[in-house]
Amino acid sequence: MTVIEPTPLQEQVTLLELVDRVLNKGVVLTGDIMLSVADVDLVYVGLRVLLSSVATLDRLQAEGAA
Amino acid sequence: MIAAPGRTAWYVYGVVDAFASLPPGRLRLVEEGVLAAVVGAVPLSEFGEEALAERLNDRRWLEAHVREHEDVLQRLAAGSTVVPFRFGAIFRELDDVVAMLHDRCAELTAALARVRGRVEMGVKGWADREQVAASLGDAQPEAAGGRAYLERRLSEQQRAQQVIALLGDIAGDAHARLLRHADEGVANRPQPHELTGRDETMVLNGAYLVGDGAELAAEVAALQADYGSRGVSFETTGPWPPHNFVEPREGA
Repeated sequence: MTVIEPTPLQEQVTLLELVDRVLNKGVVLTGDIMLSVADVDLVYVGLRVLLSSVATLDRLQAEGAA
Repeated sequence: MIAAPGRTAWYVYGVVDAFASLPPGRLRLVEEGVLAAVVGAVPLSEFGEEALAERLNDRRWLEAHVREHEDVLQRLAAGSTVVPFRFGAIFRELDDVVAMLHDRCAELTAALARVRGRVEMGVKGWADREQVAASLGDAQPEAAGGRAYLERRLSEQQRAQQVIALLGDIAGDAHARLLRHADEGVANRPQPHELTGRDETMVLNGAYLVGDGAELAAEVAALQADYGSRGVSFETTGPWPPHNFVEPREGA
């Protein structure tokens, strides 16, 4: 197994980066499963709205505190 | 469906070779032929169909569990070849997991062979649009007189189009050059400003399947040297479990 030194960025992987991979990529199962994140694009869009509202909130709070 | 309290289901993180060893902890292998699924028990109170739909809107819950999914895959990848599954593959019974392995044996075996001995590296290209515009040279000379406003607007629009065209060319060149040092690569949709929270514009969101990342790293450094002064910088992430290279290929 090739070992590549993790970059410093890896230590603080953002939720966005994880979602982009873990929720949006990988083998998708269908068939015998009881349930799964059925419509990943919708989840992604939902998260997008959620994250951007959080980002906006963070920014507003930062500006308010400044 | 209605989940009885205390009931559990099986969460599948990914698939490994049947003889793979697991890191110590709560995970277990479900073996079928040459394949094994890496599973963990999860409470239906959180991972039942309706519960899960609600939890996905809870940013803290989602972050904790998406991180856990990735952590498990990273630990597995340290010792085994792993085909990562997407977040949220949940089975009622272990027999259902066995049936999945049986039904998808050919596809999953091919996916294991495809990523064996390789890792996924991410490369992002970021553009400082003002610096990119400045690198195009002087803007049109300021027009004087009554038409000045319209001509300035036209000039601005032309400049913006030139910047977009240049960024497309740079991203295309970068992806092509990185592909030469990878077994496979894919240029994913760049993440938008609202999500990245950065001033720069993401122009490349590439993923590359590599055995040894040294060549790719050298090419990233070369790209940085070539385009950094024009306002486009590059950064590498990873190694990642090969999320981008385990779905069946088009036409395969």
